[in-house]
Amino acid sequence: MIRVRGLRKSYGGQLLFRRLDLDISKGEVVVLIGPSGSGKSSFLRCVNGLESFEEGEVTVGGIALHSIRGRSRAEGEAIRRVRLKVGMVFQQFNLFPHMSVIGNIVEAPVRVLGVDRETAAIEARKLLRRINIEGKADSYPGELSGGEQQRVAIARALAMRPEAMLFDEPTSSLDPEMVGEVLSVIRDLVGEGMTTVIATHEMGFAREVADRVVVFDKGEIVETGPPEEIFSHPKTERTRAFLSRVLPG
Amino acid sequence: MGPLTAYFFRDRRIERTLGFASLFLAVVLLLAQAAPVAAGGSLDKITERGYLIWGSDAEGGAPYVFPDPRDPSHLIGFEVDLADAIAKRLGVKARQGQNAWDSLIPALKRGDFDIVMNGIEITPQRKEEVLFSLPYYVYTEQLVVRKDDNTISAIGDLKGKKAGTLSGTVAQEILTKGGGIDVRIYSGQVEPYEDLAIGRIDGVLLDLPIAAYYGKTNPKLRYAGGPIGEGYYGIAIRKGNDDLKAKIDGILAELLRSGELKRIYQKWDLWGPPQEKLTRLYREKTGFVGLEESRKAPLSTFLPALLKGAGITILISSTSMALAISLGLLLTVCRLYGRPPLSTLSTAYIEVYRGTPLLIQLYILYYGLPNIGISLSPVTAAFLGLGMNYAAYEAEIYRAGIIAVPKGQMEAALSLGMSQGLALRRVVLPQALRIATPGVTNDFIALFKDSSLVSVIAMVELTKTYSILAASTLRFFELGLIAAILYFCMSYPLSILARRLEERLKGGGR
Ligand SMILES: Nc1ncnc2c1ncn2[C@@H]1O[C@H](COP(=O)(O)OP(=O)(O)OP(=O)(O)O)[C@@H](O)[C@H]1O
Ligand SMILES: [Mg+2]
Repeated sequence: MIRVRGLRKSYGGQLLFRRLDLDISKGEVVVLIGPSGSGKSSFLRCVNGLESFEEGEVTVGGIALHSIRGRSRAEGEAIRRVRLKVGMVFQQFNLFPHMSVIGNIVEAPVRVLGVDRETAAIEARKLLRRINIEGKADSYPGELSGGEQQRVAIARALAMRPEAMLFDEPTSSLDPEMVGEVLSVIRDLVGEGMTTVIATHEMGFAREVADRVVVFDKGEIVETGPPEEIFSHPKTERTRAFLSRVLPG
Repeated sequence: MGPLTAYFFRDRRIERTLGFASLFLAVVLLLAQAAPVAAGGSLDKITERGYLIWGSDAEGGAPYVFPDPRDPSHLIGFEVDLADAIAKRLGVKARQGQNAWDSLIPALKRGDFDIVMNGIEITPQRKEEVLFSLPYYVYTEQLVVRKDDNTISAIGDLKGKKAGTLSGTVAQEILTKGGGIDVRIYSGQVEPYEDLAIGRIDGVLLDLPIAAYYGKTNPKLRYAGGPIGEGYYGIAIRKGNDDLKAKIDGILAELLRSGELKRIYQKWDLWGPPQEKLTRLYREKTGFVGLEESRKAPLSTFLPALLKGAGITILISSTSMALAISLGLLLTVCRLYGRPPLSTLSTAYIEVYRGTPLLIQLYILYYGLPNIGISLSPVTAAFLGLGMNYAAYEAEIYRAGIIAVPKGQMEAALSLGMSQGLALRRVVLPQALRIATPGVTNDFIALFKDSSLVSVIAMVELTKTYSILAASTLRFFELGLIAAILYFCMSYPLSILARRLEERLKGGGR
């Protein structure tokens, strides 16, 4: 479903990824962990074309993105098609503050996919029921709690019927009591078999939902494997060092 | 929007955004074009049109042309009577065209008027620019000084002293040639005498009719010596309009022969050179209005004229603000999202328009463009001048608004599969415009006041109406208060609106 080959990326001369390879198959749940600044967000952003890269290839559902130098029209079109296949949820929610909850959800289906507004609204209400905030359809993002906002952001991405979902630290800006409600929505999604990539600092959750854990450090993948392996028998020193810092005891 | 814009923009949706902005722009421009167009010129056109447009400056224009103190919406003066007499013999009506005195000839050349008649002295330099009719008045220059200053009795005594006059006059030449005189140039005829009376300058040399009306009437001032020099006022006509000149010459000769010219000048007490007689007699003459009378007229007589000026101010400000708002948006979008030639051009436009004075932009637009064959009507030039200038400022306000929208908004929109243009139009711009609204409203208030600058391009709006009325009545204070109150009544609702918007924005929410 998602295939990354030989990805090279730097920020203004500062090299981040030298050569990155990763494959994620359909229905798989991959959790990215690693210290701050190790490149988890950058990786996710390369996958859906929000960041350009210098070398290598990212393929999503058969559509290939290349090193985006010239940004030709064709390449721009490819990026857009990739974005239609993968939904993205941000740490900062990024809901559109000038639109109601329902407006946020129907905007892209109506404007991008050409779905008529009525149908889109019916779908949107179904999604709101799924995330348990049916009553807030006509509220504005400013009137919602952080947890509610993030759930709406997930619904907004799902409304585009993506084949995969990318989550970039979806619970990092939430108050602790709201983390649970967002995680439970993601848990449901994973349960339905959605291909999912999550960058997170929630180790417990990573252990629970992941099919595979990928450990990032300084722009490199230092280890990858099933959660029990990574958390109970880490093979590399760098993983051990990282885990000893984040796991209590 | 075609392949051209497709080349200039990274994204087709931006074109659509621009499409809306330019459509709005087009409508605004179209409305502006519906405004009256510039006057033509030759004899046939005048007859066809049914009126003769004669250019003059009613500001401080007594006894030539000035607002009737008893009905300030109506102009009087010996040149008004003369224009009526000429028009009547042409079989048409006379209509005055207003412009600043020293811009009358340029305005004539660009076709705003059919003729200019406003104490224009026939000089060799001017003859190179325009045609002149036969003289219609013989003028002399008169030096005026303070009564309590007996050191000056002739031009020669002005050496080392300050003397005032009007720009571009024969009197200015005489003073300059006098040598050693500190010549102060004024643009209105009232101010030099006011400055003389309070001692800012030591003498004023101007044409006798002006000296008689504005100088001699001031109890603090007196004539120094007799009339100097002698010259002719002529009616200026655009070069090439020889048929019009021939016709007007014939009419002037007839007016002189029939005694009608004499009657007009007698009415204004301008017949014959002895200036003592002029001042002694003019209060006895019927139909002649002295300064005293206009000083006493109730303020309400001036209100209709001021309100009309306010109406023009509103018209000019709101149409040019509409232009500024739409053109500014176009500029910002081009600057931030256009490809190099377009983005650089927009940036250049914004920098040039913000970096040069509005006054010069107006002059170039109105008096400069005719040199390359583009002649705009005063309304169009005022609208374009103000609108294009303010567009640069609005563009910067929008840009600040766009920058203030968090980056995540654009990224979230893109990640939903929106194109950059769609994201801009649906997500970023609505938020940016909301942030920009108080700033734009504040600029609208500023534009209201800046609109007074368009009086230099023959627009008589509120400030110009005020200065014309004040100069003829010398009631700068009371009329100034009324004009200021009118401005306040127009801009205060806007500042309340701006404050409301700001508060709403601060309150967050939607
Ligand atoms: N837009 C940018 N410009 C320059 N450098 C950047 C930019 N974005 C990220 N970086 C750098 O790239 C490196 C990887 O950042 P990234 O955000 O991908 O890490 P991360 O693993 O997501 O960290 P965190 O856990 O703190 O979110 C960091 O050193 C960061 O400073
Ligand atoms: Mg991150």
